[in-house]
Amino acid sequence: MNAPRVNVDPDHAARDLVSLVLTLVELLRQLMERQAIRRIDEGGLTEDQEEALGTALMMLDRTMTELCEHHGLSRSDLGLDLGPLGPLLADTEW
Amino acid sequence: MSAAGSGVVAWSGPEAGAPIGVPLVDLLDRVLGTGVVISGDLVIAIAEVPLIRLSLHALLASVSERVPAPWSDGGPL
Repeated sequence: MNAPRVNVDPDHAARDLVSLVLTLVELLRQLMERQAIRRIDEGGLTEDQEEALGTALMMLDRTMTELCEHHGLSRSDLGLDLGPLGPLLADTEW
Repeated sequence: MSAAGSGVVAWSGPEAGAPIGVPLVDLLDRVLGTGVVISGDLVIAIAEVPLIRLSLHALLASVSERVPAPWSDGGPL
């Protein structure tokens, strides 16, 4: 009885690797987004700094969506459930 | 409704081991908001042979008036 073959077809494995990388990028993006909100709430930023911050984060969010679609993933695929620790990422559908 | 909804994390009872309903990224954000210092030594070894040494004294915190950015113009990164 031969050992159960692990058929890892290349593009499937590549897609999972991309998914892991995109999850890390999404984690950083959400972290930076929250830090930006925290910083804006704190004040001390000029109007155009806040404007630039908002625009940059919006572009980043759009790029994330494009990247996911480019690799045939959806944003919710990036979510990682850490079991007892709960979800890694906050779901961004709002 | 998960215990987190009511803001209380169950210590005992059926809900004890349940995951706290907070995404880890929010926890990380709060940790950064408070600020954390990671200091320690790390040695990466293979087969008991130490190869890489990493000595950390890292401050991880949000930039605020309490923790100013070292470079005034936002710096290289």
